Amino acid sequence: MIPTHYYLVLGAILFGIGVCGVLTRRNGIIIFMSIELMINAVNLTFISYARQMHSLHGHIFVFFIMAIAAAEAAVGLAIFIALFRNRETIDVDEATVMRW
Amino acid sequence: MSFDATDIALSLLKIAIVLGALLNVTPIMVWVERRGSALIQDRLGPNRVGPFGLFQSIADALKFILKEDVIPLQAHKVLYTLAPMFGLIPAVTTIAVVPWGRSFTIPETTIAGRTLFEGGRLFEPIVADVNVGILLIFALASMGVYGIVMAGWSSNNKYALFGSIRASAQMISYELSLAISAVATLMAAGSLRLTEVVSQQTGYFILFETVRIPAWNVFPMFLGFVIFAASAFAETNRLPFDLPEAEAELVAGYHTEYSSMKFAMFFMAEYMAMATMSALIVTLFFGGWDIPWYDEPATFGGFLLSLAAFVVKVSIVLFVFVWVRWTLPRFKYDQLMRLGWKVFIPLAIVNVVLVAILIAYRWV
Amino acid sequence: MLEWIVFYFFATVAVVFAIVVVTHRNPVVSAISLVASLFALAVLYVLLEAPFIAALQVIIYAGAIMVLFLFVIMLLNLQHKEEPTTRPIQQFLGWSGSAAFVITLVWSILKWAAFPSLPSTRFMSDPRSIGFRLFEAYIFPFEAVSILLLAAIVGALVLSQRSRPESGQGGAQ
Repeated sequence: MIPTHYYLVLGAILFGIGVCGVLTRRNGIIIFMSIELMINAVNLTFISYARQMHSLHGHIFVFFIMAIAAAEAAVGLAIFIALFRNRETIDVDEATVMRW
Repeated sequence: MSFDATDIALSLLKIAIVLGALLNVTPIMVWVERRGSALIQDRLGPNRVGPFGLFQSIADALKFILKEDVIPLQAHKVLYTLAPMFGLIPAVTTIAVVPWGRSFTIPETTIAGRTLFEGGRLFEPIVADVNVGILLIFALASMGVYGIVMAGWSSNNKYALFGSIRASAQMISYELSLAISAVATLMAAGSLRLTEVVSQQTGYFILFETVRIPAWNVFPMFLGFVIFAASAFAETNRLPFDLPEAEAELVAGYHTEYSSMKFAMFFMAEYMAMATMSALIVTLFFGGWDIPWYDEPATFGGFLLSLAAFVVKVSIVLFVFVWVRWTLPRFKYDQLMRLGWKVFIPLAIVNVVLVAILIAYRWV
Repeated sequence: MLEWIVFYFFATVAVVFAIVVVTHRNPVVSAISLVASLFALAVLYVLLEAPFIAALQVIIYAGAIMVLFLFVIMLLNLQHKEEPTTRPIQQFLGWSGSAAFVITLVWSILKWAAFPSLPSTRFMSDPRSIGFRLFEAYIFPFEAVSILLLAAIVGALVLSQRSRPESGQGGAQ
């Protein structure tokens, strides 16, 4: 059996890689994918705690997180398509009209 | 969980049997397709290579192996080479959770004075009996979409791209009706394991107090069976849903730029997926390895009889696949998508509700 | 022993492909690496005695969400657009900030969250027990998520429509 903190460290590393992707890339789709990576790192943490505590609440939580992540991906990509259609660019640094 | 060498040896034997059967399906099905289509179209079909053209498949295989392997200049080489392998994943791996015979206790066998098996070990003819059986099939079937998407995109060819987008949109649309219509059979069995689905179908329905018909799921859930069968046709890109690879429309769809062994892998993947879908249809709706009015004993002889019954049923469904291909015309793309979303999914949900009513009244 | 080999192999696969996602120029390669990373995570879920969640991960994440990503990338033809490179100061701050974050996180996990031992009995998550929980204790989130998914479908459809021209006449559509 593998101790739980191995999975927690792996989740932390994946979360950090996702954070790095969100901070350093300018392509909107890659930022979305980094967010999905962060969500999956959190899922891994939930499941490893569920095994440690012998409770199914972690699994149910992950179930709902997956459903919500699916909804978020659909709406986020639709927003991205609308943005792309109006601006012809994928650079999120160009979408600055609503800034101060 | 104590594993010993005999368990590992038996598992390897099961994998070898299943893989051997699956890899041999393609040449047999190619012959059946060509002679069967000839029969339906009132012509002869290949009859030169060997008696009744039986060695035609070997000639085809030799041709594929010896052809030149062309990679287009601007193609993305890594994805171009990976795509046929992704296409093979659902075809080869989903057969792991399908039970293909009756489980029996291995009797004590001795060979040359040494005991080969101590008596009492149960041999379960299923490669992996996980407790989420059928979800693995849906999971691995959705990986097959990636083979098509990668093939079309990496070929750097607009016909291939159109064909792959159409094919992947079709596959993900019909995955939904496939899953919902299968849910009705899982409700009747009360479990996600396919062995439980089959053992639930080994009983009988008593009609009018005298007639016994086997309790196969096709009788109470006929609507679900029709939807599942049609969705299986759409999932494997067979006529009447084969617009993505229609020769007259898109050159050859997503495998336009593929030649020799890579094209042969797509070709094999299609036939193996057909065989796996037929095995799934038989397991979910036609009682799997169950022989209709006979109670097989849990011995090696019973196992062989159930294996024969399974093979016969799968062969009949495969022949129906070939029969439908050469009988029905092809759907247009918008008709296909409308059918998948607006007709099949509501009907599948209606089927689930009907089956729930039947289960509540204990008629299933 | 076999568990350790599987764990290290698939953990390495997940981390390596995650790094490819974050650093590669071509969005299609990034998407397919993310699929590989999610698949490796599904294998780790099986190791964590959650086969149901592993199957759901492959069906929902690797099988549907990433296909959606790939469709959008291919339909918008994004692989031919050159992404402008990030300013060097942003890159440096991004990499160093996230590295510091990861190191702090890992250190605090190893210091405070290292459980001494696992419970002795194995814990198999059964689809049946998850189903019971969903319909008894968690029935409200279950129904709320279905309404949320409906809202997401409607939102995605409305957002991705092309702006229709104002047509006074009947319009031959």
